[in-house]
Amino acid sequence: MARPAWKGVAYALAVGLVGAGIVHIVILLMIPSFSARDAWTRLSAASGLYEVARIDTGTGGAADPSAAAAACRFDLADGVVHVSAPSKVPFWSISVYDRDGTNLYSLNDRAAPDRLLDLVVLTPDQMIELRKDLPEEFAQSVLVELPLGEGIVVLRALAPDASWRPAVDAFLAEAACIPR
Amino acid sequence: MLRTALLTLLALAVAIGGGAASVWYALGSEESIGATAVGTWLTYPDLGTVNADPYSRAKVAREGALVLGRAEGLRFVAQRDAAGEPLVRQCRYTVEGTIPPARIWTLHAAERGGAPVPPARALNAQIVTYLPGGSLAATVGARAAPGNWLATSGSGPMALVLTLYDSPVAVSTGVSDIQLPRIAKVGCDG
Repeated sequence: MARPAWKGVAYALAVGLVGAGIVHIVILLMIPSFSARDAWTRLSAASGLYEVARIDTGTGGAADPSAAAAACRFDLADGVVHVSAPSKVPFWSISVYDRDGTNLYSLNDRAAPDRLLDLVVLTPDQMIELRKDLPEEFAQSVLVELPLGEGIVVLRALAPDASWRPAVDAFLAEAACIPR
Repeated sequence: MLRTALLTLLALAVAIGGGAASVWYALGSEESIGATAVGTWLTYPDLGTVNADPYSRAKVAREGALVLGRAEGLRFVAQRDAAGEPLVRQCRYTVEGTIPPARIWTLHAAERGGAPVPPARALNAQIVTYLPGGSLAATVGARAAPGNWLATSGSGPMALVLTLYDSPVAVSTGVSDIQLPRIAKVGCDG
């Protein structure tokens, strides 16, 4: 005794819709782990670890024409990372992201001592070690304690008009991102 | 037997196709989950933060975005004018109103993918002239205009992007009570 055909189709569609809901959730949760276009992957293709590379175009959503940005990938398993730049621009800001591109910490020049960029990113364990005997070179640094392995720092600067461009370019070119 | 196989296939096709398509749609739409609207301007306060919902996380991963941190600033994107029409590059618009407190703000036009519309100019807090009372009146369009003019070119859809750098709106006060400039269409060429 066969069921009418439409009942079978309706049942299959209902099962399919429930399945679609499950597939929707699974895909959504898997995208961050499997994306080949995420910031880390794109930066890896363009530059090595601890290399400060300009990311004005291509990465980071809407690119502001009056802003310039540079990124550096780091791995705290190698030791703490020291980010610094010697010069001053009208506005700079820095963000620390985890490997998935989640913003964990940000700072702008107003909040930095003497408006100079001098930042150390380190894990809580490294912080305990560092506190025991703070190296002279980190005396003025902003210490950013984050539970991180691999991560990305992005440095942004603004050129309100074209005359500031060379200063902004120099600021990003002189920025250093060094494991210690 | 064949019927069971066909029905199973149908259920699987609906599940996989429907699941994938709905994710694609949810991530592609501009007014996606997590957006806060201020007039016609949209912002995503939690995008790229630890508080982000799964849709925002997927969006960040898919676009490779490195979103501005709270201390850096906040970005507002408008795809539509005050009348609800999509912004297009062949039309001229006025942007009028006050801009929330920020150390510096910039306003630029972006293509769909996020790249700046040529000639890639931006208005900012330091180069514009303000009306008495401190509000802004700017013209956006391909044809040169007196006063504050944001140049665009070509045709096709565009978005206006207002970025507030180092703003209390991003850090403490939040986006619920703020006012943003109104975008009104003046006319179109061609």
